[in-house]
Amino acid sequence: MEVGQLQRRLVDYTKSLLTEGILDDQFSQLQKLQDESDPGFLVEVVSLFFEDSEKLLNDITGALDQQSVDFKTVDGYVHQLKGSSASVGALRLKNACVAFRSFCEEQSLEGCLRSLQEVKQEYYNVKNKVETLFKMEKQIVAAGGSVPKTE
Amino acid sequence: MQRVAQSSVTTCVAGSYSSCKASGASGSDPEVMGYEQFPAGLRVLVVDDDVTCLRIIEQMLHRCRYNVTTCSEATVALNLLRERKGCFDVVLSDVHMPDMDGYKLLEHVGLEMDLPVIMMSADGRTSAVMKGIRHGACDYLIKPIREEELKNIWQHVLRKKWNENKELEHSGSLEENDRHKRGNDDAEYASSANEGTEGILKAQKKRSNAKDEDDGELENDDLSTSKKPRVVWSVELHQQFVSAVNQLGLDKAVPKRILELMNVPGLTRENVASHLQKFRLYLKRLSGVAQQQSGVSNTICGPVDPNVKLGSLGQFDIQALAASGQIPPQTLAALHAELLGRPTGNLMSAMDQPALLQALLQGSKHIPIEHGVAYGQPLVKCQSDISKHFQQSKVSSVEDISSGFGAWPSNNLSTVGPSNNLVGLNAQNTNMLMDLWQQQQRQQQQELQPQSMLSEPGCLINVQPSCLVVPTQSSASLQAGDSPASVSQNCHFSRSSVIDYSLVSSRSNNSSLNIAQFPNGGLNTTAGVPGGYLGPGSISSPMSSCSVNANNNMGQQGQNLTITFSAARQLPGFAPNRHDIQGSYTAKTVEMVDQGPLQNLGFVGKGTCFPSRFAVDEFESPMSNLGHGKLYVDNNRVKLEPNVDFMENTKVGIPILHHFSSNDVTSVFTE
Repeated sequence: MEVGQLQRRLVDYTKSLLTEGILDDQFSQLQKLQDESDPGFLVEVVSLFFEDSEKLLNDITGALDQQSVDFKTVDGYVHQLKGSSASVGALRLKNACVAFRSFCEEQSLEGCLRSLQEVKQEYYNVKNKVETLFKMEKQIVAAGGSVPKTE
Repeated sequence: MQRVAQSSVTTCVAGSYSSCKASGASGSDPEVMGYEQFPAGLRVLVVDDDVTCLRIIEQMLHRCRYNVTTCSEATVALNLLRERKGCFDVVLSDVHMPDMDGYKLLEHVGLEMDLPVIMMSADGRTSAVMKGIRHGACDYLIKPIREEELKNIWQHVLRKKWNENKELEHSGSLEENDRHKRGNDDAEYASSANEGTEGILKAQKKRSNAKDEDDGELENDDLSTSKKPRVVWSVELHQQFVSAVNQLGLDKAVPKRILELMNVPGLTRENVASHLQKFRLYLKRLSGVAQQQSGVSNTICGPVDPNVKLGSLGQFDIQALAASGQIPPQTLAALHAELLGRPTGNLMSAMDQPALLQALLQGSKHIPIEHGVAYGQPLVKCQSDISKHFQQSKVSSVEDISSGFGAWPSNNLSTVGPSNNLVGLNAQNTNMLMDLWQQQQRQQQQELQPQSMLSEPGCLINVQPSCLVVPTQSSASLQAGDSPASVSQNCHFSRSSVIDYSLVSSRSNNSSLNIAQFPNGGLNTTAGVPGGYLGPGSISSPMSSCSVNANNNMGQQGQNLTITFSAARQLPGFAPNRHDIQGSYTAKTVEMVDQGPLQNLGFVGKGTCFPSRFAVDEFESPMSNLGHGKLYVDNNRVKLEPNVDFMENTKVGIPILHHFSSNDVTSVFTE
């Protein structure tokens, strides 16, 4: 596939992610932040995010797995996850976190467990999509082109 | 995280250090850097435990052409700021962090380095934002943060700098002018100002302080790890400050004018400005506490210090608050202490200030009980914190304090949060404390044995900048419940300077009574003393400061009220208290509690000043360090009159305050 085509595909793909709400404008902002002086910025940030999130998900799972669940702790983790999701622009994931927090406040274990599933789902979803995005970018660069910035 | 932190530190070392050097001299002053350049090169320190956010913000700041240093841990950031004073222009901090609350960091920075701090959080609720502003944040950004928002943060730096410059120019102080010319940035201003004026101030303090050596030590044992020389706000100095503020009116009190009124050579406008800032914060907190307590109007209950018109502080009238039982004396003391906070050197013989304030602050929690008690309350109630402070404030225990201080911030800050009673108390405490301190100072400086109390981590006498004395809302510090028939009876005074704290803390927060450490003798509160009040009589004048440790558990008779007398100061002002205390002891714990500290002070005898620091706090286990000591009250001069009707506290309360100011023990008694 030639560069132009790859680039168009990338742009369309990114747009679809935005439309679906998987990513939001914040992600576009981050893309814009990346420049020549720091070409790996976005990938770096997103990698950090994935690392951090997976750890948080594990923590949340562990916390909910306790004999006596400390909802405050769980809420703390979810709050953190919500913050990072918002920072990278993972909109749906962030919203799932918001819903999760309300269950924490209610101290509903069942609600929390369900929310956790949803959050995990959204997380893996956004992870896949973004990784796909990066692959496409790599392809473009490999083909000699430059990554188009999303409008 | 580790990795990031490491790299952050490295960045700091390599990047910021060099940038410090490079831009150190010029700072971020546009006048120096050149307007075209500014705000590029602004030195920003970002603190956030979320590495993703940290990285993003770092990138954004780079795009703004700022000089960025990142930290994922608040404690690391604080150390960095302390080590590299003058190397940063602004701090961006997240609110929720695992190792330290963002607000605490905010307060630390504000107190120690006086840098603008901008908070960040995903929590955009109005209450959260308000909390940030209340704690002194220059701005509050809601995540996710956009680059445009970060582009404008330089305005906070500039505003601060220019405001200070303006005042400097007007102040006409040589040092200030010099500093101004150097165009240092804010941070540097602070340090250079302090350095420049410190000597003078120190000399000043020494002249006025009886405990010179102690002061010196105290100063050196700066609570802040940075060891940056700071202006030590001695009791006198603070009293002058408060007088000036009163004269001008709190609303109109600007550093420049305050400085002029104070007319203290070597004092810089900047010193006054930062002190004023803290003062306002305390007042605010105080009023906040008062409101919490009971919506009692802030009326001056009684002139605590005739000289100092607390009332002029308006709503922040601590006395009023105290009178209304809103503000436990301890809190006031604590506030006061906090205000004076810095190197305890000058602070009254003891440290009590911070402790007092703390106590007061904490006491505020207990206020409810104190309602009945009138004026005496504020002083009397010393929350454990205050007591802690007291102890710590002991000159001799400076070291302890210093160490404690370090611990204090964390302790206090945490406790502080909820209680907003600090602010208001300051004013009042200041006056009362000032009187007390002055009295104490007059007294022969008794060497205070380091009390175990001092070890109280939370209590720092010198409210070092990093620590905002935020008294925790502690339950009534004084043992209201105890009904000491006659305090004197129960007090055993011995020469030991051990202060016995019977920490009966019913509350988790450290509202232990401040135990004053008697330099010469400790006030020995025996269990017999109801509520732990040491018999007034037993308190000897030598005791400079007694902090009354009262069990905050009101209603608990014979609880561990330990009255600690701080330093060998006598509690002149408390003379009347004695009377009251006695009476009150029997009467109601509540009253006792309130008056506790005061009364104890009074008991101490003529010339003994028991700052409101005697916070009668509940003794909590944490305070146990303090509690180890035994209070020994020097019997020299304390003449407790057993038959004083405690119940008449209300009446006495006010008079006591008066006494404090008058430093006339006799008058106190006559009251």
